Amino acid sequence: MMKKHSFGKAFDVAWTYALLIVVGFIFFFPCLWIVLASFSKSGSIYSFEGFFPTTYSIDTFKKLFTDTTMYNYPRWFFNTLFVAAGSCILGTFLTILTAYTMSRFEFRARKPMMKTTMVLGMFPSFMGMTAVYILMTQFGLINQIWGLILIYAAGAPMGYLTQKGFFDTIPKAIDEAAKIDGANSAQIFWKINLPLSKPIIVYTALTSFTWPWSDFILPKLLLKEKDLYTVAVGLMSLDETEFSRFAAGSVFIAVPIVIL
Amino acid sequence: MLEGFKNYIGVFKNSSWRVKLSALIMGSGQIIYGRIAKGLIYLFMEIAFLFYMIARGFKDIKGFFTLGTQKADAWLGIAGDNSVVMLLMGIFAWIIVALFIGVYISNIKDAINIENTIISGKHPKAFIEELKELIDRKFYVTVLVLPVIGICVFNILPIIFMILISFTNYGGSTVPPELVDWVGLDNFKKILTLSKFAPTFIRILGWNILWAVVSTTLNYFAGIGLALLLNKDCVKGKAFFRAFPILAYAIPGFITLLAFKFMFSYGGPVNQMIRNAGGTPIGFLDLDAKWIARLIGLLVNCWISVPSIMLLATGHLSNRDMSLYEAARIDGATPFQQFKKLTLPFMLFATMPVLLGQFIGNFNNFGIFYFLRGGLYLDGYFLASDTDLLINWLYNLSIDNNYYCIGAAISLIIFIITSVISLAVYVNSPSFKEEDTFQ
Amino acid sequence: MKRKIAMALVAVMSLSLLNGCGGDAKKSDSASEGAATSGIFSGELEENVTIQVLENDTAISKGYFSQLIEAFNKEYEQYGITAVDANMDQYLDLANDGPYGYGPDVLYQANDVIMQYAQGKHILPLPVEKLDSYSQIPEAAWQAYMVSVDGNTYTCGVPVNVQAPMLYYRKDLLPEDWKESWDANSNDIPDMIEDWKNMYDFSVQRHQENPSQYGYMKSLYDVYFSSGFLFSYGGYIFGDNNTNPEDIGFAAGDSAKGAWILSQLAGIMNEDCIDDTITTNAYSKLADGTYFATLSTPDTYSTFYDELVNEYVGQGLNQEEAQKKAEENLVMTGLPKLPESGNLTEDNPKLVDSKTMGGVNGYAISSYTKYPNACLAFVNFATSYEMIMLRNETLGIAPAREDVASDLGGLSEAMYEELDKGNIVLMPSIKEVSQIWTPGQTFFTDLAKDAFRSEAEKKYKDLDSMEAGLEDMCNQIHDAIYTLE
Repeated sequence: MMKKHSFGKAFDVAWTYALLIVVGFIFFFPCLWIVLASFSKSGSIYSFEGFFPTTYSIDTFKKLFTDTTMYNYPRWFFNTLFVAAGSCILGTFLTILTAYTMSRFEFRARKPMMKTTMVLGMFPSFMGMTAVYILMTQFGLINQIWGLILIYAAGAPMGYLTQKGFFDTIPKAIDEAAKIDGANSAQIFWKINLPLSKPIIVYTALTSFTWPWSDFILPKLLLKEKDLYTVAVGLMSLDETEFSRFAAGSVFIAVPIVIL
Repeated sequence: MLEGFKNYIGVFKNSSWRVKLSALIMGSGQIIYGRIAKGLIYLFMEIAFLFYMIARGFKDIKGFFTLGTQKADAWLGIAGDNSVVMLLMGIFAWIIVALFIGVYISNIKDAINIENTIISGKHPKAFIEELKELIDRKFYVTVLVLPVIGICVFNILPIIFMILISFTNYGGSTVPPELVDWVGLDNFKKILTLSKFAPTFIRILGWNILWAVVSTTLNYFAGIGLALLLNKDCVKGKAFFRAFPILAYAIPGFITLLAFKFMFSYGGPVNQMIRNAGGTPIGFLDLDAKWIARLIGLLVNCWISVPSIMLLATGHLSNRDMSLYEAARIDGATPFQQFKKLTLPFMLFATMPVLLGQFIGNFNNFGIFYFLRGGLYLDGYFLASDTDLLINWLYNLSIDNNYYCIGAAISLIIFIITSVISLAVYVNSPSFKEEDTFQ
Repeated sequence: MKRKIAMALVAVMSLSLLNGCGGDAKKSDSASEGAATSGIFSGELEENVTIQVLENDTAISKGYFSQLIEAFNKEYEQYGITAVDANMDQYLDLANDGPYGYGPDVLYQANDVIMQYAQGKHILPLPVEKLDSYSQIPEAAWQAYMVSVDGNTYTCGVPVNVQAPMLYYRKDLLPEDWKESWDANSNDIPDMIEDWKNMYDFSVQRHQENPSQYGYMKSLYDVYFSSGFLFSYGGYIFGDNNTNPEDIGFAAGDSAKGAWILSQLAGIMNEDCIDDTITTNAYSKLADGTYFATLSTPDTYSTFYDELVNEYVGQGLNQEEAQKKAEENLVMTGLPKLPESGNLTEDNPKLVDSKTMGGVNGYAISSYTKYPNACLAFVNFATSYEMIMLRNETLGIAPAREDVASDLGGLSEAMYEELDKGNIVLMPSIKEVSQIWTPGQTFFTDLAKDAFRSEAEKKYKDLDSMEAGLEDMCNQIHDAIYTLE
C-alpha cells in the first residue's frame, strides 16, 4: 500500500516537472529567439538559418545606444521609464484605493458605479481616441509626457475589479476589531489592509508599469516630437530592415520589467 | 424620488429667508449661520461657475447645437469653426452645468439642514468635524473623487462624444475644416438598409463571440492550471519556472505579435523547417487560411495572456484557507475533487472580475488580427477579412476608410448588445451578488 | 458635504485648464489671420524666425538634411532665419496636427499625401512661377501638385524627385557566357534586363541549375509594384487623368494580360511571393546570391548596397575592395519590356514599354505656418540646382529638375524621360486613392497564391477569370469609396 502510494507520488512529480518544462519551453523559446535575433550580425532576420542567426555580434546593442541621430533609443527608454514609473505610482495608488473602497464601503452609488465601469470597458477604446486627442489639444497637453501619465493614471481605476476581488477575500472581521480600538477608516486602510494586500499591489504595479512599455496608440497620438517618443512608438517607426535593432530594443524593454 | 423632491420643495418654501438667499447667492445661508468656511466655498464655486459661463460656457453650449457656422479657410485667412472641437467643448460645458446643478442642490439642502439643526436646538457640525468625517465614515468620498473625475474626463466624455458622433455626418469628406451637422438617425437607417452590411455584421459577430468565449476559457484555465502547477508542493525552484512566463510577459504585446507573424510567414522559420524537411510551405496566415489563422490567433493570444492570469491566480491562491484542504484530505478527497469542490469555486469567485475583464478584453482584442493578418478584404465580407473581429472591422470603417460616423453608429449598436450581455452575466455572478461568500 | 469637495475640484480644475487653452486658441487664430491667397506670399521675409522642416528619414540618416539646413542657415543668417529639423514622424498627418498648431512649417512627402492636404486646404498654394526651379521641372511633375478649387488651378507643392519602381540585379550573378547566350542583339545589355521573357527564361534556368537559387523575385501583394503590369496593358487607376474616382480602371483595356504576366512570374518564384517575405528579405537575399533580381524604389539603393558590402566583407574582402566590388556589381535600372501578348513563353514576342506606378516627392508649406515667406525661401533654396545635385549624390534620388537630370545622365536622365513620356503613372492626387490599397493587395495576394494551388483549386486559369478578378477588385474599391458616402 505504502509503496504504491510513493510510486504514484513519484509519477505525479515526474509529470509535473515534465509539464513545467514543456510550458517553460513554450514560453522561453520565442523569447530566446528574439534575444538571439538581437545579437544577429546582419540586421535582417531573413539571413537566419532556420530559427537562429548565423553570426552573432553585439554591434546592434552598441548601435542602439550610440547611434542616436535617427533613433534616439536611450532617450526613448528614459521617457518610457518616466511615463511607466509615473503612471505606475499614480495608477496603482488610485486603483488600490478605489478597489478597497468599493469592496468595503456601502453607499448608494456603489452598485451603479460597479455596473457603469463594467459597461464602460466594453466600449472600443480607439473610437474615443479622437475625443481624447482633441481634449488634449484643448488642454494644451500635446507633446507633454505628463499628459500621457495623466491619461494612464486616470484610466487605471477602470480595472479595479480584479483588486476588488482580492479585497473581497480579506476577512472584514479584522477591520471591525480595529474600529473598536478607535481607528478611523483611513487608518484601518493604511495600517491593516495595505500590508495584507502586498501581492495585489505588486500585481497592480506590474501591470500599470508594463502597459506604457507596450502601448503605442496613445503616445503616438499625443507625442509628436521624436525626442518625446516612448520606446513602443519609436520601435514602430523603425525601418523594416532593422529587425535586430528592433529585437534589441524590445529585449531592453523587457529588462526593467523582468527586474521588477 | 419624485416624492422626496416635492418634499424638499415644500421644506424650501417653508424655510426662512436665509435659505432662500442661499438659493440666489450660494453659501450665504451658511455664512449667516456662522459656517463661514463652507459658505465661502459655495460662494467661490458660484462665482467660478458664472465666470466660466460668461467666458466660454454659453458660447460652447450654443456651439453644441450649431456645430459651427463659419467654414475655416486657411487660404483666405478665415479662422472658422472646428465642428469637432465645438461638439466636444459643448459636451464639456453640459457636464459643468450638470455638476453645478448638483452643487446648487447640495447647497440648498445643506442650508436647510443647518437651519433645521439650529431650530431643533442642536449645534450644527463644525467645518473641521465635517472634514474629519472624510477620512473616516465618508472615507470613500475622499478616495473616489480623483478616480471619478479622471474616468469622467478621459473615459466617459470620449464615449459620450462617440455616441453623439453617430448622430452627425462626421467622416468621409465631411471632416474639419468642413462643417459637421446633426443628421438624426440617418446613419442607423443607412446601416439597416444597406444590403452589404447585415451579412458581414452577422458573420463577424458570430466569429467574435466564438473567439471571445473560446479564448477566454482557454486563457483562463491555462493560466490557473499553470498557477496551480507552480503551486504544487513537490515543485522545487518555483521562481525558476515562474521566470519563463514572466519573461514572456515582459515583452510588449505588439513585438510578440510581429515576431509570431514573422515566425508563421512563408519565409519564416517554421516554413523554412518544413521546406528543409522536404514539405511544401504552409500559408498559416494567408488569405485561404481561415481556420488555421484563427487557431494561430487563439494560441498566440493564449501565449500573451496566460502569464498575467498566472501571476494573478498565484496571488489569489496564497489567500486560500488551507485548513479546508487539510480537512478535505482527511476526509479522503482526491486532488481532483479538491480542485473541483474547493479551488475552483474559490478561484471563480475571486477571479470572476478577471474572467469578465478577459472576456471584454478578448471581445475587443484589436491587436491580434491587426498584426497577424491585417490588410485583406475577403469575399463575402464588406471591407473585412474572415479573421477580423468587430473591432477590426470598425477600425477599417472608421479609421482606414474614414467613415467615422458610421463606425460610431456600429460601435454604439455593438456596445449596447455586448454591454447588456456582460452586465447580465456580471449582475448574476456570485462576486457581484454575494460579495461576502469568502469572508 | 460629500460632493462639495469633488465639485470644487472639478470647477477649479476645469477653469484653470480652460483658461490655459483659451490662450492657445487665440495664438493659432492669429497665425493665418489676414492672409489672403495672394497676400500670403508678400515676398517680405519674416526675420529672426525659426522654421520647422520635416524631411524623410533617409535624408536625415544619410546626413543630407543636416547639410541642407546648414547651407540654408548660412545663406539666410543675415535675415535671422533658421531652419531646424521638425523632429517628427516622417509620415505624420498634417490634417490632424496642423490645425492645433503641432505640425511642421515645411514638409517633404509624396505627392499623393501632399495633395490630400490640399483638399482640406491644410497646405498653401504656392507662387511657383517665382521659384528658380520653375522652368526646369517638367509639366508632368507640376501636374502632380495641381488642384482645382472654384475654377482656379493652384499648385501646392514643389517637385524634388521622381519615385518609381526600379529593377535591381547583380552583374556578378549573370552566367559567365552571357555575352554569347544572353545578348541576342549584342548591345552589351543582358537580354533579361531588356525584356521580361528573357528574365523569365533565365529565372527558370537558374532555379533548375540550383534549386535553392532563384532569378527574379518580388512579392506580388504590393500594389505599388504590381499595378504597373496592369497599366502597361491599358489599365489605369482613376479616369479623367486620375481625377474621377467613379471610373476605376484596374480592369480596363487588356490589363488582364498584366495579371497573367504576374501570375507567370509568380510561377518561377516560391511561396515567399505570397506574403511580404520577399519585400523584406530581398536586401539580404540579393546580397547572398539567392535572388538574381528584384524590384524596389530608388531610395532603397543604399540598403541593397550596404548589405552587399557586408556580404563581400564576409567573403574576405576588405572594406574598400568590398565597396568597390558592390558598386560595380549592384545595378539599378529601368524595367524590362513586356511581350504584347502577355505570354512570357512566346518566342520572339512583340515588345511594349513597361509602365510603372510612381510618385513625385516634393516640398509643401503648411497653412498653419506663421512665416510663409521664410518657408518659401527655404523651399526655393532646397530645390536649387546645387541642393538637388547634393541630394542625388548622397541619396541617389532621381531628380525632377531637368538640368540636374541631364547633367547626371544615365539613370536619372532615363527616369526623367520616362516621366516625360508618361511611362511613370503618377499616383492620383485625390483622397480616394487611399481606398485602392487593400482591395488591390487582396487581389494580388490571391493571384500569387493561385500559382501554388493545386490544378483543381486554381481560380485564375485564363484571361477571362483574371479579368473577372480585376473587376471584383474594382468593385471593392468602388464599394469602399461610395457605399457609405
